[in-house]
Amino acid sequence: MGCDLIAFVPHLLHRLRRSVLAFAVAWLHVLMLGAKILVIACAPASYRSARQRQLILRQIYLATAPLLIWFVMLSALVSLVLIRIVVATSVSYGLSQYALEVLVRTLVLELIPLYAALFVAVRFSMPGAQHLRERLARRQPQAPRGDEQQLLQTELLPRALAGTFAVLLLAALNCVVALLLAYLVVHGFSRWGLPTYTRSVGQIFSAAVTLIFSLKTLFFSLAVAIVPLAGSAQRDADGAYPRGSDISEFARLFSVVLVIEVVSLVGNYS
Amino acid sequence: MNKPSPSATDSPGAASLPTVRNLELKAVLLLLFLLSLVLGSAAYLMYARGVFEATQQLVLVAEDSEGVEVGMDLTFAGFAIGRVARIELGEDGNARILIDVPQKDARWLRRSSVFTLERGLVGAARIRAFTGVLDDPPIEDGAVRPVLRGDALSGIPEVMIAVHELLANLRALTAEDAALLASLANLQRVTETLNGPQGALALLFGSDAEARQLVERTKALLARTDALAARLDRLAANADRQIFGQPVGPAAKAGQGGLVSETRATVGELNGLLVDARSSLQRVDALLLEVHGIAGNTRAATTDLGALRNEVEATLRKVEHLINEVNRRWPFARDNEIRLP
Repeated sequence: MGCDLIAFVPHLLHRLRRSVLAFAVAWLHVLMLGAKILVIACAPASYRSARQRQLILRQIYLATAPLLIWFVMLSALVSLVLIRIVVATSVSYGLSQYALEVLVRTLVLELIPLYAALFVAVRFSMPGAQHLRERLARRQPQAPRGDEQQLLQTELLPRALAGTFAVLLLAALNCVVALLLAYLVVHGFSRWGLPTYTRSVGQIFSAAVTLIFSLKTLFFSLAVAIVPLAGSAQRDADGAYPRGSDISEFARLFSVVLVIEVVSLVGNYS
Repeated sequence: MNKPSPSATDSPGAASLPTVRNLELKAVLLLLFLLSLVLGSAAYLMYARGVFEATQQLVLVAEDSEGVEVGMDLTFAGFAIGRVARIELGEDGNARILIDVPQKDARWLRRSSVFTLERGLVGAARIRAFTGVLDDPPIEDGAVRPVLRGDALSGIPEVMIAVHELLANLRALTAEDAALLASLANLQRVTETLNGPQGALALLFGSDAEARQLVERTKALLARTDALAARLDRLAANADRQIFGQPVGPAAKAGQGGLVSETRATVGELNGLLVDARSSLQRVDALLLEVHGIAGNTRAATTDLGALRNEVEATLRKVEHLINEVNRRWPFARDNEIRLP
């Protein structure tokens, strides 16, 4: 019994070391792939080819257009419910003057970017990454390394740009919709509340808050665009593209989004 | 519009991708839409932050800037007319709150305006402006004004001290040996006495026996008072008879033999006497008029007598002079000269 336990400890340590190593390698791969995609995205040569531009525009359209209407409607519905709850509660407690600030801070600054990022991840990035992984898995395991550049330009860059664009567009559009709904719920169809409303919104969006909000939305979009693709384009020890788990990819994406959200909260309210 | 699922985009090759009509145009429109959203939101936020407004500066000096934040409003009559741009610590140790006031709203601020910094129990601090005289000259750009603090929280320690004192007093009042309990016991005895057979009298005189004795004496006093009232009635009847002459019996005539009737007759006689006296006085008035005429004649006669006297004196002097002249010329005139030897 004692001998078995002593023999088990090195095995456990070995497994632990392999897990930590795989964890570090996976995250390093995510970072490296993200950096490569950014470099390629910033290079003008990536857009010289008409076929490449066509691919990028197609992915942008396919990532955004099918989601646009449904996401706007769903987000408007959720926003309307939240706005009614906050306004009614604040009025019942005699704190209606703080309702608008609470709404803008919770809906526009926090919920809508997070909601848009997760929506794009579930509806576009994760399924796209899954199909890419299946297609890459069918490739020859010992494909030449020179194909990686081709893979980045033709497969990963259009999808990454499309995911980034979709998150930015949906978040921006729904922030505007939420602000309009908040105004209509608080002031109704009257234009006399517009100066007060504009002043309140301007009071909330200070320079620091606006910067943090913009950076947070940008990093959300980058995470949604890159993290699922990184799992798809990661080779194993044999140089092949293994079929990974979607849940693990989503957990990795969710952890990144969570870290970005926590950092933004610390920046806003600490 | 075609709505291909993302699963159909697994190959970037043109053969496996679904065909989208006017793909480039739609994609460019989406890009322009995002660009317009971002630029529009940025412009709106800049407008909301007052970037495009012409402002003038107002500096409020406070001992403590706690609760003041950059971006909070300066309100006048409930309307925001300014925004805190910066907070700094002055050389004199006071906080300087720099406020940007849009020039279109600066007309509400005058040189006599008063500024307050208030902190409520709930919510952030508020900076408010009060302008009593709107005809005063407008406040100048860069004006420095003190700000008065109205802190609702600052009064809490005093309130707590007062509450402690109040609780101590309340505890002393409700203690076992407190005067309040003794007072309540006395009050209970009083109510019991009031509910007793003698009621408030027993409470006033201390015992039922004394109260009963007082009642008996009061009854005797009331009987005597009744007798006295009867005597007073008789006295009044006699007085009426003496004064007004009221008849005792039904056959007697009213006003007969009374003091009043006699007085009335006397007054009638006095009226007759007064009539006589009035006629006598009229006659005396006529006499006085005659005397007045006599006096006037006498005065005139007296004036004539003066002239007559003067004439008589002049005549006498002439007679004397004539006699003297006769004597001088008359042979038998006496020699009036005295000759000296």
